[in-house]
Amino acid sequence: MNYKAVILGGSAGSFQIVTRILNSLPKNFPLPVLLCLHRLKHVRSGFVEALSLKSNIPVEEPYDKDSLRPGKAYLAPANYHMYVELSNRIALSTEDTVNHSRPSIDLSFITAANAYREKLIGIILSGANKDGALGLKRVHDNGGIAIVQDPNECEVKTMTQSALQLTKVDFVYSTDQIISYLQKLR
Amino acid sequence: MVSDQDYQLFVYALKNSSKYDFSQYSEKSLKRRILKVLTDHSLNITALISKIKTDPEFVEKMVKEITVNTTELFRDPQVWQAIRFNILPRFKNNSVINIWHAGCSTGQEVYSMLILLNELGMLEKARVYATDINTDVMDAARQGEYKYRFNLAYLDNFDKVIKENPYNYEEYNDVPYEKYLQLDKANDTIKLLPFLREKPVFKKHDLVVDNNTLYVKFDLILCRNVIIYFNYNLQCRVFDLFHQSLYDTGCLVLGMHETILGAHASKFQKKGHAYFKN
Repeated sequence: MNYKAVILGGSAGSFQIVTRILNSLPKNFPLPVLLCLHRLKHVRSGFVEALSLKSNIPVEEPYDKDSLRPGKAYLAPANYHMYVELSNRIALSTEDTVNHSRPSIDLSFITAANAYREKLIGIILSGANKDGALGLKRVHDNGGIAIVQDPNECEVKTMTQSALQLTKVDFVYSTDQIISYLQKLR
Repeated sequence: MVSDQDYQLFVYALKNSSKYDFSQYSEKSLKRRILKVLTDHSLNITALISKIKTDPEFVEKMVKEITVNTTELFRDPQVWQAIRFNILPRFKNNSVINIWHAGCSTGQEVYSMLILLNELGMLEKARVYATDINTDVMDAARQGEYKYRFNLAYLDNFDKVIKENPYNYEEYNDVPYEKYLQLDKANDTIKLLPFLREKPVFKKHDLVVDNNTLYVKFDLILCRNVIIYFNYNLQCRVFDLFHQSLYDTGCLVLGMHETILGAHASKFQKKGHAYFKN
């Protein structure tokens, strides 16, 4: 196994995609999965339950300084930024919004890229703003794998197109291809 | 981005030339805050470090810029509902109730507590202490005045905690905002009424190095979204301080996504949103 973690970022139109991905991962998926998804400001609860419903691996909103474990998905809690510390622990922050977002996909991706360097797989999904583009670039610059959902397939293309403009990514994949890529990780 | 080496240089320069020790802060957050200081002051890391070594006034100012001060009135209403219905009633028969807001920032949670205490008829017997490392935010807390337009969510939160009862949807207490708040839309301000502003004792306190310098024990300690900026070791120190500072029947309320890890986990028991001493 060459990788230590997978991180996904998405916004408008990404919920169904993430649900499908979580529904397709094997129960013994060998990596931690970090999820940084924008949500409507007033939707503070219910999101993790909705994602858990069809997921093959446990999905949780982590507590600060929780250790990251393989085969678990960690959803950035509402109204917190979610960072990865070098010690392989989650760190949360209530710092101001970045690009009007908290959680910020850029910040989660950048800190994960620093912690895992070439052993990280970053995936940007459908979304309505450019958050995540800088983060995916950092994943790529640090030698990790950068994947973008095919904009033609996205409900809202802005996020994936912004990422593609900034970075020469490794793969532009449909949801099905993302799933089979992840399923092959052993 | 601040490199690991620059980060180390920063932390040691600060530690050696001031009373501030950030070596056990949560690294990712601190790096971002250092970057913000560099950008806001148009400095590079070498210039910043030489300023830290030679300019104590700048250090004071910078430390204030580094700490994160976001807070709201009744942030996470479900927690405040629990404080109202499950936690404060435990202390109803006390002759005195001591409360510590550790890392109070600009004071919104202090005032949330005072409003609740008043609604429960417990304000008179409460002693409320509020501390922070940053004296500027405590000055703002003493003023008790916030922007109106940016903080309309405060009023929604007020409704959820003060007017509604989550255990009985038919109950509705029509408490007017004016009982506690002076709303001035023309000047875009929300100001807490004087009887609330006069109540708390504000004092500078650094959770990294200070012991219980309030010299009382507490029934309730609130420390919400503060320890997320500390690393694991420093969190343990703070839990130890809180454990020593609580009465045996006392409890600790943390942020929604904070929890007690490590050796102190077994010294507390979580019930709902609060940690009680075992």
